[in-house]
Amino acid sequence: MKPELRIFAASGQLGYGIPEDAFRRGVAAGPHVIGADLGSIDPGPYCLGSGNMVVGGEALRRDIRMVLEAHKETGAPLLMGSAGTAGRRSQLDAVLEVVESVARERSLRFRLAVIPSDIPKDIIERRLDRGEVKPCGVVPALTKEELARANGVVAQMGVEPFQRALDMGAEVIVAGRSCDTSMFAAVPRMRGYDTGLAMHMAKLIECASSCADPGGRDAAMGVIGDGWFSVESMDPKQRCTPVSVAAHSLYEQSDPFLLDEPGGTIDLTGSKYEQLDERRVRVTGSLWRPTPYHVKIEGARLTGHRFVSMCGIRDPRMIAELDSVQAETRRIIERTFKDSIAAQEYSLIFRNYGKNAVLGPVEPDPTLTASHEIFVLIDVVGKTEAIAKSVCGVAKQFFLHLRYTGILCTSGNVAHPFSPDVMPAGAVYEFNVYHLLPVDDPCELFPIEMRQVG
Amino acid sequence: MPMQTLDQIAKVIRSKNAGPFCLTLDVLFDKPADYRRVRDAQVITREKMAALYRRPLDQVQVYNHESALAMKVSLVRWTPAGSLTDSDIYGAQQHVLLYKLPVP
Repeated sequence: MKPELRIFAASGQLGYGIPEDAFRRGVAAGPHVIGADLGSIDPGPYCLGSGNMVVGGEALRRDIRMVLEAHKETGAPLLMGSAGTAGRRSQLDAVLEVVESVARERSLRFRLAVIPSDIPKDIIERRLDRGEVKPCGVVPALTKEELARANGVVAQMGVEPFQRALDMGAEVIVAGRSCDTSMFAAVPRMRGYDTGLAMHMAKLIECASSCADPGGRDAAMGVIGDGWFSVESMDPKQRCTPVSVAAHSLYEQSDPFLLDEPGGTIDLTGSKYEQLDERRVRVTGSLWRPTPYHVKIEGARLTGHRFVSMCGIRDPRMIAELDSVQAETRRIIERTFKDSIAAQEYSLIFRNYGKNAVLGPVEPDPTLTASHEIFVLIDVVGKTEAIAKSVCGVAKQFFLHLRYTGILCTSGNVAHPFSPDVMPAGAVYEFNVYHLLPVDDPCELFPIEMRQVG
Repeated sequence: MPMQTLDQIAKVIRSKNAGPFCLTLDVLFDKPADYRRVRDAQVITREKMAALYRRPLDQVQVYNHESALAMKVSLVRWTPAGSLTDSDIYGAQQHVLLYKLPVP
């Protein structure tokens, strides 16, 4: 009989403030492994394309201090993945700077493994030549031209680079882009626990207490044994039930039964969920079906630069004429810049909140009757910042002062909440690599750098 | 009695990205009888979802998951997350069209 192994999920996303009480309870329960996810592809292409972080400052520092001290207190290895959101080298380095600074401040000593996930483009090009790079879902086939446009490409590492780093003596691991499961399944799998169960457990606890009812951001514990695992929230108010756990198994997955991972598919068709006691659920029957080993590669290219203008509208006459004022503003923009800025060098979108800005093309009833106020976000993306600023400025000014049928207020059509009323919103990226790359060795793309801290 | 709608019966109705190119909608129930009632009435079918979300049929999948008391609809996003015309980076507000589906 294998002894129980306790895997502690400190946070679904480190850097957004770990809830403290549940975290303390988890540390006190004596985990064998502490795992934490620091990233996701969900916030969109910006972090991946720019290499900038969206989290940081004291929030990130506080969370890293908490997990490093938990590591010291328990002696459990600390596995952190998807450093800095997208996991690019610049983000990994920014997280490492915080890790090393906290370690100095608290006189912590540990063997640190750093695992970058940036993939040199020539490696991908060689695989492209051999026709080995496949789209991940409904995505165009990757071409060399498109690859060349990507601002950095990362790959999601599986459990193996983490396992290798642990074999090399790492006590703390900070990795670039990682599968959500890798930090939580690496140790159970290397100690011979069932792969299907270890992966399913990892999938459940990677979002902390999201698998509980009512669900939340509090830390969670997965316990794996021979032929079973259990999950529990470390917040006493959160209760795992068979339905909450089964339901979370299908969260953010396109298929609720088959979850693709590097080297295999987690098959939940025969998973059984039973209430173990008031707050814990035991799971059996999840299977691992091995497949050829692929890693998912992700890349984003620069689209342009964005300027926005925020416009509140309260006048019912302007609201009634919104479509025609926007159409006229667009015509004026085209005329104004016809000799200086090509049409394909900018995009102008009026996002009409209160009408159809959220559901867009699937809004069943895009009428204006929903509200006495409308918020219009004038959204301009230009090939350069200068183009975006010019177009947004002119669009804002005409939208503000155009005369429309039935107008009574001739001093301004909108209420701007801010000065300046035209604001830069940064560089704009779009995903252009989302593909599967076959590998012979799951570690070949992920070099491991060992450092002594303290 | 007026006909009930899905938002009066389901416990959770949510939407979220499943990767940047796919949107997935989950409808969860807390009573097996509610789940079976909605399933048996065929409230959520590929054809209905394709029409509601204006997607071609081959870009829509529907799953019934008895042990989770869940139904899942996965569809190809009309525009990738974070692209110029996207309005919902996380895909978190696309579920509302399911609320008023009539349930016999």
